[in-house]
Amino acid sequence: MIAVAACKLARFGLRLLGRGGTDFPGRIALKLCPDLLGRLAKDVTVVIVTGTNGKTTTSRMLEQAVADAGISYLANRSGANLLSGVTAEFCAASTLGGKCRHPFALIEADEAAFKAISTFVDAKAIVVTNVFRDQLDRYGEVTHTLDNIRIGISHSPHATLCLNADDSLVSSLADEMSNPVIFYGVNVPIYASQVTEVSDAPYCIRCKHEYVYAHITYGHLGSFRCPHCGYARHTPQVAVTQVFSTDESGSHVMFHTDGGDFDTQINLPGGYNIYNACATMAMGQAIGLDPAVTSRALGHFSCGFGRMEKFEINGHSLRMILIKNPAGCNQVLNFVTAAREPVLFVACLNDRQQDGRDVSWIWDVDFERLTAMGDRLAAIYTSGERAEDMALRFHYAGVPAEKLRIYKDYGQLLDAVLAQDKPVYLMPTYTAMLGLREKISKTYGFKDFWE
Amino acid sequence: MELNICHLYPDILNLYGDQGNVLCLRQRLRWRGIEANVTGVSIGQTLHAADYDLFFIGGGQDFEQEVLLADLAGAKTAELKSAIEDGKPFLAICGGYQMLGAYYETWDGKKCGFTGALDLYTVGQKERMIGNYLFTCDDLNGAAIVGFENHSGRTYLGSRVRPMGRVLYGSGNNGKDGTEGVRYQNVFGTYSHGCLLPKNPQLADLLLRTALERKYGAAQLTPLDDTLEQRAHDYMEQRLRRAIKA
Repeated sequence: MIAVAACKLARFGLRLLGRGGTDFPGRIALKLCPDLLGRLAKDVTVVIVTGTNGKTTTSRMLEQAVADAGISYLANRSGANLLSGVTAEFCAASTLGGKCRHPFALIEADEAAFKAISTFVDAKAIVVTNVFRDQLDRYGEVTHTLDNIRIGISHSPHATLCLNADDSLVSSLADEMSNPVIFYGVNVPIYASQVTEVSDAPYCIRCKHEYVYAHITYGHLGSFRCPHCGYARHTPQVAVTQVFSTDESGSHVMFHTDGGDFDTQINLPGGYNIYNACATMAMGQAIGLDPAVTSRALGHFSCGFGRMEKFEINGHSLRMILIKNPAGCNQVLNFVTAAREPVLFVACLNDRQQDGRDVSWIWDVDFERLTAMGDRLAAIYTSGERAEDMALRFHYAGVPAEKLRIYKDYGQLLDAVLAQDKPVYLMPTYTAMLGLREKISKTYGFKDFWE
Repeated sequence: MELNICHLYPDILNLYGDQGNVLCLRQRLRWRGIEANVTGVSIGQTLHAADYDLFFIGGGQDFEQEVLLADLAGAKTAELKSAIEDGKPFLAICGGYQMLGAYYETWDGKKCGFTGALDLYTVGQKERMIGNYLFTCDDLNGAAIVGFENHSGRTYLGSRVRPMGRVLYGSGNNGKDGTEGVRYQNVFGTYSHGCLLPKNPQLADLLLRTALERKYGAAQLTPLDDTLEQRAHDYMEQRLRRAIKA
């Protein structure tokens, strides 16, 4: 098992250099042994979380539930969700003899990586969160994303599928598959008022006629029905039956599961995180966790790494929220525009491969909602490689020039952020978030700010 | 003064930011005190081309584009053709641009008939042409336009139309002949997402001026403070010009 040793060594080397990263060590291991993941995962119960948005949050929720259930597990983190990253995580958790130390593994994989990973591991359960338009330069159209997931599932004949019943694209994955399926969904509207957004799937996946909806939670998610061919939302076995409240600190909901109804606190704000919590409850049911344990785990899990992550610098309160595509960013706006006091928004736009090289998507986000905040919008700063494009978007959204500043340099940006006194929402794309974190940990001595 | 803008199939042809072009046209009119009325015309709705001064057509996903082909044929095609021959300004992006041509032939030989409004056709291939790109615009004295292309179709122009300009960096119409986009009467067709107009405000104003002149005779556009627009444009132009040299 030279490959395992090489991978461990490369990872150790990177850590000595003070760097995170799992991709490089994993690639070395795969060069030496292409089916390494299959060998290491052979006796491990593997569950996979895939989909466009919410993978990381759902994984962290599930991780807490698994930990609380007393199961020894490994999980890939830090966005290490490509085949190489997942392989590296298994190497780190295995003996030099190639034996994994944990009986259970929780893998977060993007749609393309899922297709690759599933050829090596025989998953016990798979949760598909949703399918939205995302980084079209990388993933192509939503139907292409869906095809990748379908192929991944076809590699996983023994897996129970946890599918979002409210997503007409995702729930179509149950067609033609003989896997057991647990549908999950939200039976009631989430938001009192919503951003205006483009539907990523207005037409029936089966017959191309327009859907009608009894209710929409957000985007194209909701109680859909095709009046032409009859394709409609499946009744979810795991469902949110009531949303009691959703505010700054989190959401309070009622879950219905096969194991009873559970009054649940979700300790992460944002209506879209209700879906991630629901996916977690479904996955818990699929792998036989006690639903009461899973429900409690949702109240005390921690997410971090740019998912509504809260931190302070010199007494300034900041919240970091990753943005990457129109659907996700619109959900972030549903949350941030609810702020009662004036706030500072900082949007950092990069256009590297992990961000999506095409920045056009910012024009599909309803940033006009920020303008509508009036006095509650203190200012907007933009940064990142495409800071000018980001500022231009706000300019056309009607943000007054005096409220708009461009800081290309992260150091100058942070100085400006700390020179004012309003609460701050930092909204970076993925690589901009990495850059910002690095700058923050170097400048302000944040330990473990890199996961 | 006011302009009536027709946004064709806004619910279907809305891929990655194309609606930002309509927002840009609207804001640049409003900032000058000119009213902008934008009307979406989609499947099942009748198009009265005579009601509009300017037309915008975006690009869509293949799945959704198939949904509208039947609707586009017939009456809508006839209206579009007469508006084009009448000299009304059009901006068509990617899929919308392709649809103004004669047909689209998929990589495996299937032929989809389009409007045939312009003398051009498109042939699909497996590999997509994806990335930031830079091209000249003849109507702006060769000024450089920045954008992002993402298409598998290769478009070839016939003799009755001319290109919008030449590719400086990227693939353009077909990755072979160095042309980008199409010009015919007052139609501008291009593969440029990006989104196109906000970063290329001269092109936005050219469309607006053309529409206003047709409607009101002479038209003077008040200059706007385009500092931000220019910064966004120049950042990409310089980055791509460095990439050409490298």
